[in-house]
This record gives sequence, structure tokens and C-alpha cells, in this order.
Amino acid sequence: MSVSTDGHTVKRYDQQLGDLRSLVLEMGGLVEDQIQRAVQALQDEDLGTAREVIARDHVVNGFDVRADEEVVNLLALRQPVGSDLRLILSMAKTVTDLERIGDEAQKIARMVTHIFDGSSAPNQKLLRDVAGMAKLAANMLHGALDALARMDVDRAIEIACGDEELDTEFQSALRRLVTFMMEDPRTIGHAIDVLFMIKALERIGDHAKNIAEYVVYLVKGKDVRHVSIESLSAAGKG
Amino acid sequence: MNQPNTLTRIEDPAMAEIQPQQAQPTFSATEPAPEGHRTVGKITVDNPKMSARDVNVYYGEKHAIKHVELDIGTNEVIALIGPSGCGKSTFLRTLNRMNDTIDICRVTGNISLDGQDIYDRRLDVVQLRARVGMVFQKPNPFPKSIFDNVAYGPKIHGMTSSRAELEDLVRWSLEKAGLWHEVKDRLEQPGTGLSGGQQQRLCIARAIAVSPEVILMDEPCSALDPIATAKIEELIDELRENYSIVIVTHSMQQAARVSQRTAYFHLGDLIEVGETEQIFTNPEHKLTEGYITGRFG
Amino acid sequence: MNNATSPKGIYAIAPERRLGGAAHTALVQRRKAAEKRFRYYGLGALVVSLMFLVLLFASIIAKGWTAFEQTYLRLDVDFATDVLVPDGDRSEQALSSANYPALVKNAIWAAFPDVTSRGEKRQLQDLVSSGASFELRNIVMNDPSVIGTQRSVWVPATAFVDSLIKGQMDRSLPESERKLSDLQISWVDHLLSNGHIEKRFNTMLFTDGDSRDPELAGIGGAIMGSLYTMLVTLLLSFPIGVAAAIYLEEFAPRNRWTDLIEVNINNLAAVPSIVYGLLGLAVFINFLGLPRSSPLVGGLVLTLMTLPVVIIASRAALTSVPPSIREAALGMGASKMQTITHHVLPLAMPGMLTGAIIGMARALGETAPLLMIGMVAFIVDVPKSLTDPATALPVQIYLWASSPERAFVERTSAAILVLLAFMVLMNALAVVLRKRFERRW
Repeated sequence: MSVSTDGHTVKRYDQQLGDLRSLVLEMGGLVEDQIQRAVQALQDEDLGTAREVIARDHVVNGFDVRADEEVVNLLALRQPVGSDLRLILSMAKTVTDLERIGDEAQKIARMVTHIFDGSSAPNQKLLRDVAGMAKLAANMLHGALDALARMDVDRAIEIACGDEELDTEFQSALRRLVTFMMEDPRTIGHAIDVLFMIKALERIGDHAKNIAEYVVYLVKGKDVRHVSIESLSAAGKG
Repeated sequence: MNQPNTLTRIEDPAMAEIQPQQAQPTFSATEPAPEGHRTVGKITVDNPKMSARDVNVYYGEKHAIKHVELDIGTNEVIALIGPSGCGKSTFLRTLNRMNDTIDICRVTGNISLDGQDIYDRRLDVVQLRARVGMVFQKPNPFPKSIFDNVAYGPKIHGMTSSRAELEDLVRWSLEKAGLWHEVKDRLEQPGTGLSGGQQQRLCIARAIAVSPEVILMDEPCSALDPIATAKIEELIDELRENYSIVIVTHSMQQAARVSQRTAYFHLGDLIEVGETEQIFTNPEHKLTEGYITGRFG
Repeated sequence: MNNATSPKGIYAIAPERRLGGAAHTALVQRRKAAEKRFRYYGLGALVVSLMFLVLLFASIIAKGWTAFEQTYLRLDVDFATDVLVPDGDRSEQALSSANYPALVKNAIWAAFPDVTSRGEKRQLQDLVSSGASFELRNIVMNDPSVIGTQRSVWVPATAFVDSLIKGQMDRSLPESERKLSDLQISWVDHLLSNGHIEKRFNTMLFTDGDSRDPELAGIGGAIMGSLYTMLVTLLLSFPIGVAAAIYLEEFAPRNRWTDLIEVNINNLAAVPSIVYGLLGLAVFINFLGLPRSSPLVGGLVLTLMTLPVVIIASRAALTSVPPSIREAALGMGASKMQTITHHVLPLAMPGMLTGAIIGMARALGETAPLLMIGMVAFIVDVPKSLTDPATALPVQIYLWASSPERAFVERTSAAILVLLAFMVLMNALAVVLRKRFERRW
């Protein structure tokens, strides 16, 4: 019999903590869906879906508000310590990052409506990088949420380290965009829209990395933000 | 890109628990730690006032304290926490040999105060208890006047040479205990007529009147209301400047509020010692974690 | 039995058995009736015991109050020189052994000059107590100048006259069954009519020792004997008892030996008191050779008897002192002795005093052990020291209760009243001490 798995003497406390986790993970699922749909709208040139994504951001914000309320209540009424405290803090921070990711997804959808607003369609070459980066970003977020759900430190560290790949992608995509714009200044308008999109995807990667780092804090009790990858890996082993 | 399904994830059994951090033997909330358990965390401090080494306490056949090793630092508040019957009060009472009054109680090991063994036969236990004062769970002023309560210790130890000096010392002690302004006009009234919180502060004044070096507090606030408790906690924080304080408490919030170091006892074992911040945010031992988060105890 | 309509988590109780249901209402009524009966049982028991108490007091007071008055005769005594100092020797020794009874006889005969026959004169003489001659001797010894003068003196009448005056003698009985003859009654009536017989407060009852003559018998000796005995008992049992209790309670380790001692102390408290008397007889009188019948031995024996009670009461008083006070004192660095003398004893003192006084009250009423050590002897003199032969109040009561004279009956009751008064006083003292010293903690 391992002590920590017994659950709290006060069952209701366990239930409240579980509710908070479910809420956050559910919000994570919603945000993942938002990204996926926004990117899909871009690929399908589907203005309707893009508008849906924009409209659905308030649902994400609603989750944010609810999760914050839960966190405040738990802090005020249960005075959590130890792993409970770390769980609640991680959840609170994860929610903030998820809300930002939601905003980024909305931004992408807005760019989609902007690009396909009836004037000339953009050069497909411009959009080539977006799909790849979107896949990377979505995978990172999915992995971070998965690590959060499973309390999987190794996975979380893997995800956090993966952010570098996305950053590299962003840099090269940016260079290509600049090349396009220099070749043909008429593409500048669309290129800037695409630039905003890939910047948004890069931000999503950063937020996913944050979430992965919260998982390390939650499980290990160590704050691994703002440290090098080497020490991050060391923390995972320690 | 696959469609994430949040619901299946929540039901995933793997998420129901926090993974064990490292290979630790499993512990039960109802059984003692296995033989040979070593305290987790740093038991030593740079400038110890008292130190206990391999301390065992037996009540008849019962092994109440097992191989406890712990330093008590100068000018620090160390909180002893743990479930009922874990031995924290017993350990506290070995520090000024109050256990001597119990016939069947036997103490082995070494406890020193400023490097001097307090269980040395040549040591005068009466003097030890003046140096290591004690405040009890239930406020227990003597059924005498407020003045006599505080003056009693200095009187029996012959610490003042005149009545004026004694009055001065009583006043100083009451001021130090933050009680002077509340009682200065009724020093001749019985100490038992004060409120619970005032009685406890009177007991603290009584303890500091004999200028101890260490003050032991055995759940000093368990009989008090929150405001009286806050006053005592504030007082403990002030007293830390001049005394080393060991406090046993059932309130983890209190331990967190007043102490710099926290020691967790479990069925006679000292499981973990550490900085209070660390114990309450990231305890290393699973039993500590379980206790402070309310999973048992 | 759970029925389907009951909400989840609530056990379904049959409607008539729920609170307020028919079955429950009946239950409540039965319970209320039972509670009322329960109260009345207690009240009834109290009334019965009070009735017994009232009966006891009423009977003792009714029988005893008359003993506080004594009938006195006025005699015009001629302290004739030729009777008192026939040979002119006025030395103290001669005066003390002079013929005072003759003075009494002459005086009473003089009061009835028409009585001449020898038999009637003797009857007349019998009206006056033999104590009268002691009275006259006292007067002469105090002031020899009265010799040769005449003086009227109030002297005690015999117990029979006393009974007649107090209306305890039935005049309608045939003369042969009465203690006083018709003639004696007529004399008494005569004396009464001219004011020569009077009832006065009976000071002799409190000042004099025992006597064969009821009108002269007092409990003064017994009171002094009891006081001396109690003094010895108090001085020995209280300090010894308290010290023993302190040792047992504060110092002795808890083990088989102390358990054994404790059991034995409790047993000793229940040992019949006569056993202590036998022990006292064997040890103090036969072995140590202390004087028989003395308050010293009585006190020692009663100490033995009281000691367990004092120890038990003192231990109870010590136990009732909260341990937190001891801890507080020890935690301050007070030594064991300082803890006990400064804190524990002052708090336990009321309880100890109460226990001691109740033990003393019991000892005061104790008869059996005193019988064994000879304090039952007929002792006329009031004891003046611890080693003088003496008797005690309860023993005096026992002695008088076995005397046949009517006058001793009322004196027995009077002595009981005095004893009870002492008991009430001591118990009241216990209450006062407890109230005075009791402190809150």
C-alpha cells in the first residue's frame, strides 16, 4: 500500500482536484481542436470554418474563467500544500497558457479570413510551411497535455526539448517568406498574413513547452523554466 | 492530425495518481517505517543549540522514539509535526527531561545542550529545566496572582536580589510576552481569571522570566481561538530573536507559519526534516507528503 | 427494510414508528411517566431518611432537654461552730473533713420544725442530694469566715425530687410503687409553694465528672477526656497521614509493593474498630506499659483507626490536583519538594482537612476500642493531663445508658445531644475550611 495513492481523507477534496484536472484537460482538447480547425480552414480555403473558430474562442475563455474560479476556491478553502499545491498551481498556469493558445488559434483563423477575403488567392508556395509547422505545434501541444494527464516527466521533457525544432522551422520559414517577398513584392500582403500565422504557430509551441515544464514542476517539485536543455534533461533524471 | 478525445484521457487510470518519484520502499500509514529507516533531509544545522543523537525512548516495552537524530538551531523555530501518537510530544519532553517524571519511561542516546550532555548524572535537572523552559498544551497558570505566576521562577532560582528588581523582571517578562498592557492594572488578580489566550501568554511570560535558552511548546494553541492563536504565533516569531523554540503542533498551517524548519514524525520515527518551505511545497518522503496533504493522519 | 420510495441514504422506518408517529408518541408517554416515577423514588427515599432523622432527634431532644435543668432546694444553713470545728482546729485539713452532712440535716430539719419522728426525719433528709454537703464544704473552704453565721444556700435536690418537679413522676401511682412517699411529696409541694424549690440551668452537667447520684453526674470529665484523646489523635494522624499520602502519591513508584500497600490501607479503613482496641491493649498498655484508661492510649488507638481514613482522603485530595499544575512547576525548574509544598499541598489542603476532620468526627464517636483499653472505668475526677484516667463522651453515654435510674435516661440523651453538637460543629468546620481554602484552577 502506497500512501500517496490512498487519496485524501476528505473525499470531496479529491473530487474537486479531479474536477479541476478534467476541466483543464477538457479545455486542452478544445484548444487542440481550435488549432486543427483553423489550419484545416486554411488548407480548405473554408471561410465558414474559420469564422466558427473565431466565434468559438469565447468558449475557450469561458473555460479559463471557470478554471480560475476553481483554483481560487481550492486555495481559499483547502489550503493545499505539497503535491496538491503544485497540482493546483500547475493547473492554474496551464490554463493561462491554454487560453493564450486559444487566442493564437483565433489569430490564425482571422488570417485565413483575411487571405481568402475575395481578392486574389495567395500563392500556394507561401502556405507550404504553415501545414508543417502546424503539425509540429499541434503535436507538441498534444504531447504536453498527454504528459500532463499521465504525469509523465520523460514525455514532458521530450516535448519541452522539441520546441527547438519548431523554432528552427520558424526561422527557415521566415527566410523563405523574405525570399518570396524580395522576388515578387506583390506577394508581400499575403506573405505578412502568413508570417503572422507562422508566428502564432511558433507561440503555440512556446506555450506547449511551458505546459510541459509545469508537468516537471508538478511531479518533481522543480522549476525547470528558463533553464538549458541539458539541465532540463538532468532534472528529469534526478 | 488526430482528433484528441479528452474524455478518454480523463478516464485513463494512469492519470489518477502521481507517479512515484524515485525508488522508495513503500510505506504504510499504519505501520512504522521499516527497521533501519534513515531520516530524509538534513538533520544538522550550522550552529546547533541542542542536538539529539540516536535517541530512543521506551515506555515500558513500547519503543516510542526510534533512533532520532536532530539538531535544534540557535534562534530558530523548529516545528515537530506528525499524526497523534507519533512521538513528537515524547521527543519534546526528552529535551528538558520532563519524561523523568514518568516511572516506566527510559531514554537512551545522547542529547546535548551547548555540547553538554543533559542526561549526565552530574547535571542538575532543575537547572536544565530553567534553561529549557516549557509551555504546555492547556494553559496552566498557577492558581495564584498574575504577579506571583511570573515571579515564581525567579524566586525559586534566586534570580533577583530585591523586590524592586523582581517587579522589574516581572514587568519585562510580561512586556516581552505582549501581556503587560492587558494586565498591568490587575497584577494581584488570579492568573486563572484571564482568558485562554492571555493565560497562555502568561505561561510564556512565566517561562521566559527565568531567562531560558530554549523554549519547548507542546501544542500551545490547541485550546485557543484563531485570534489568540495569531497573537501567540506573532509572539513566537518575536521570541525567535532571543530563544530557540521547539513547537509541537497539530496544525500544519501553524507549523508552516511559525517555523523555519519542520520535522515530521511517524510512529516513533523521524521521517523527514527540512526547511519549512521545502516540507510544505515539495516534501521528499511519501509519508510526509501523505500527512501534510491530508491523505492520512 | 428499505422501501423504494425512501430517498437514497436514508433508512426507511415504518411511519408509525417515526418520530411523532403513534408508536413513538406512546413511547414518549411511557418514558415521561417512568422519569416521573424515577424522581419520586428518590424523593421518597429522602423523605424516609429525613423522617428517621427527625424521629431520632425528636426522641433524643424530648428525653434529653430536661437534663439541662436541675432542681435546687433553698436551705437556711447554720454554719454552727460546734458542728464544724468542735475542737477549735481550723486547719484546712480539718475543715475539709468536717461534718458537713450534719449541717445539711440540721438545715432541712429546721425547715420543717413539726417533723419529729426519726423515720420522717430520715425521709426529709432524703430530699436533699448528697452533693449538698460538698456544696457547703466548698463555701466554707473558700471563705472560712462563714463559720458561726447563718446563710441561705441553694443545694441540689435528689433526682427523685427533680423528677417530681419535672413532672416525670406519676403522683397517681400507689405510694408503694413511687420513689417518693406521700409525705415527701407534700413537703416538696410546701417548699415549692414558698419558693424554696427552683429549677435552674444545670451547670454541673458540664463541669462535673461522673457520679453514682444522677443529679450530681456530669459529662465534664468525659468532654475533657474526649478533647485530650482527640488532641492526641489529631496531632498524630494528620501529619503522619498526610506525609504517608504524599509519599505514596508523589514519590512511590507504581509497582506490586505499592499496590499491596494501597490495598492494605483500604482494608485497614474497614477493619472493625474493636480490633484496634485489642491491638492498643496489647501493644500500648501491655507491651509499652502506658497507663490504662488514659487519653494518651485512647488517642493512639484512635490514631491507628483514623490513619487509613486520613491517608485515603489525602491521597484523593492529591490526585484531584490537576497534573498540569505539577507539570507547570516542574517545567519552571521547581524541584519536587518545591512543587509539592508550593503548589500541590495548598491546592490539596482543603480536601485533606476535610478528610481529617471527618476522620476525627468518626473517632470522636468511637466507643469500642476505648472500652478495650479501659476508658470505660467509672471515673469521677475530671482528667487534668494526657495520662490521667479518663473516659470519653460516647463511653459515658454507653455507661449511663446501662444505668437503671430514670434520671440517667435524661442525662444519656443530654450527653448524646452534646456529642451530636460536637459532631455538627466539626462537620461545619470541615465545610467552612473547604470553602475558605478552595481555589479554582
